[in-house]
Amino acid sequence: MTAEPGVQELRELVAEFEPGRGHVMPALHKVQDTYGYITRTAIEVVARQLNTTPALVYGTVSFYSDFRTHPPAETEVAWCCGPACRVMGGDRIREALQQELELPLNGQTPDHRIGLHIGQCNGTCSEAPQVWVNGEVVGDLTVAKAIRLARELKAGE
Amino acid sequence: MNSRLEALISSAKQSWASEQASGRVRINVTLDTSSQAKGAGQVIEKLHAAVAAKKLVADVGITGSWGFCWMEPCVTVRTAAGTQTVLYANVTPERVDELIEKVAAGHDMPELALGVVEGNPTADIPLLSDHPFMQGQVRRLMANLGITDPENIDHYLAHGGYEGFGKALEMDAEAIVKEILDSGLGGRAGGGFPAGRKWDFLRTATASPRYLVCNADEGDPGAWVNRVLMEGDPHLIVEGMLIAALAGHADAGYIYIRYEYPLAFARLKKAVEQAYAKGLLGKDILGSGKDFEIVVFLGAGSYVCGEETGLINSIDSYRGMPRIKPPFPAQAGLWNKPTNVNNVESYANAPMIMRNGAHWWSSVSDAKEKGTKMFTFSGSVNWAGCVEIPFGPTIGEVIDRWCGGMRPGLELKGFQPGGPLSGIATANRDLTLTLDPYRELGMFLGGGGIVFFDQHTCTVDLCSYFLGFCEDESCGRCTTCHGGTQRAVEILRRIQAGGGRDVDFENFQKLVSTLVWSNCFHGQFAMTTVKTAVKAFEDEWREHIFDKRCRAGVCQGLIDYRVRSAGDPALTEAAELCPTGAIVPDGSGYTIDDPRCIRCGACKEVAPNAIEVVDRFAVRVAEGAAAGG
Repeated sequence: MTAEPGVQELRELVAEFEPGRGHVMPALHKVQDTYGYITRTAIEVVARQLNTTPALVYGTVSFYSDFRTHPPAETEVAWCCGPACRVMGGDRIREALQQELELPLNGQTPDHRIGLHIGQCNGTCSEAPQVWVNGEVVGDLTVAKAIRLARELKAGE
Repeated sequence: MNSRLEALISSAKQSWASEQASGRVRINVTLDTSSQAKGAGQVIEKLHAAVAAKKLVADVGITGSWGFCWMEPCVTVRTAAGTQTVLYANVTPERVDELIEKVAAGHDMPELALGVVEGNPTADIPLLSDHPFMQGQVRRLMANLGITDPENIDHYLAHGGYEGFGKALEMDAEAIVKEILDSGLGGRAGGGFPAGRKWDFLRTATASPRYLVCNADEGDPGAWVNRVLMEGDPHLIVEGMLIAALAGHADAGYIYIRYEYPLAFARLKKAVEQAYAKGLLGKDILGSGKDFEIVVFLGAGSYVCGEETGLINSIDSYRGMPRIKPPFPAQAGLWNKPTNVNNVESYANAPMIMRNGAHWWSSVSDAKEKGTKMFTFSGSVNWAGCVEIPFGPTIGEVIDRWCGGMRPGLELKGFQPGGPLSGIATANRDLTLTLDPYRELGMFLGGGGIVFFDQHTCTVDLCSYFLGFCEDESCGRCTTCHGGTQRAVEILRRIQAGGGRDVDFENFQKLVSTLVWSNCFHGQFAMTTVKTAVKAFEDEWREHIFDKRCRAGVCQGLIDYRVRSAGDPALTEAAELCPTGAIVPDGSGYTIDDPRCIRCGACKEVAPNAIEVVDRFAVRVAEGAAAGG
């Protein structure tokens, strides 16, 4: 992970955004797309740029589940919590993954190699039950397959 | 029609015609989120390589989804002479070389073929329209899907695109509203409120500027109809909003797309850029003197932003917390200016209505709900796909026709008619896909995502899931909602853990009558699943609460995993697999150390004959016999 971006760099990054035009979310997306997460400094810079307070911007960041205030793990496993996956045994897959990776939902390993978080249904329900490993679908899972996948990830394969 | 639009259309038609008459083989891959999940991106790369290797004179392109989501990637191959187009399914990257080899030799590949799209059927390949999945569908919104390149505005223009807008340009706002009212187009997200009336609110509003919002925050898990449409034919939405802008004198429009749909976001962004480049958006559109801007806006993961005022707040006031109504968006929406919010499908229908007239549009069926509706089906059925049908077929017909029946060994136990707020219906195959029957049952037919479940699903567990979702996604404004859903989840989990009490039915009743006082739909309808499931599956709920038994074998606190035949060789693998090491050696075989068991069921998957799920609390009459077997 590279060092946290400095104030000047961030100011340039969000210079295009203007107050009062619905630019808070686009600015935050741009920060996260660039650095992988939103730093405290970034929140302050965005607030200044958009003529609002850091509290309001932080409120926005914390409201939405897809904004992160910490760097993502090297490998992020998103567990699909949708109903089609649930009907096909998805919740037992979550139990097994959490146990095997020794992680709570939205947690990551101390070495930041593996993270586990909730993924919202994107309608690839023909692959249910599924997880996304760094955005790639691993579908038609069984609990056994999920455990083996977790073991491979832990072993660094 | 506007002469500049006419010129755009005729040049697009020419370029489409010359593409069709190019004398080259045309290979199109459906490229959407469902096909990407099955490696469509890789298929395209391999196709390019295979075409080059075989020196095939061919072009490789992309299209939107045919709706055969469970058989992606789908590929169409059009012969060089243009006499025949065949649709192939399950064209995985490994199968590309074989397909191209056949195509290069002038053959087709019946084992992968779904049907003939254009041209005559062959001895081995029937017409696509004869495929059971296609029968009974009326594809209007989906007409271009599988045919045109969603990233090419000319393809859209060559297929009647922007003609509806052209007509609307020559009408006054009142006449456009009347046409939409006459069509009977109702809101497509489950409410069914007449779109024409909403448009009229905006038309007659006095303040300015005025805004349009397209609600593309399809947050209902298990629904992906808007995604299919946005990824497959994004210009339909742009054109629909343009027509609405003329009707409501709107100055700008926002398309709010959920973060989980990056491809839909990219496609709509591209469509909007193309529309600007052609002069269809911006200042003085096509010389008409009208201005209209569109911004494509990306959400960041929040279900309540699907509520119209939550969505508006998400755009202009950062946190997507639904507002207190009134004032309604029509009076004070975005930046407190008059705003009209419609669903993706509602806007997308407007071009059809303008192009072909209200009567044509509404006469597709006898149902009270006019026009066609897109649905996605998933869960315990064979086919998880996307269809466009008139309202009215029964659930039985839906399962038999468009879902390929239930999966082997599974019986229909019930279904979710549309989203986590919509309720849980029983296995009533005679219920029709119309709005009224669900209203009578205290449920509603939502945005089009229907999920079927079977005897291995527990309705208590399902409610626990839905309420957990509602709790997670509550914005936090109303105590009734964020506190009520929390309480509901606690009770449900207690029941699942074996702590059900007879007062729990009363507790649920209290929660139902309390949560309706929440500000927005989210809180008001959060208890619908529990309310409807307790009524429809009362026996199952009583069993959980009084007998401490889960007949589906799902609720973790009510079941035990046990070794049935300790000497089964498959148990070695099960022991190795168990994530908690709960399968321990016992004499010459294995046994399960119950406190360690997390009931994930991995062991039963690899050793189905050696492991059984039993009731934790019920009297085990056959215990001796089972242990001996």
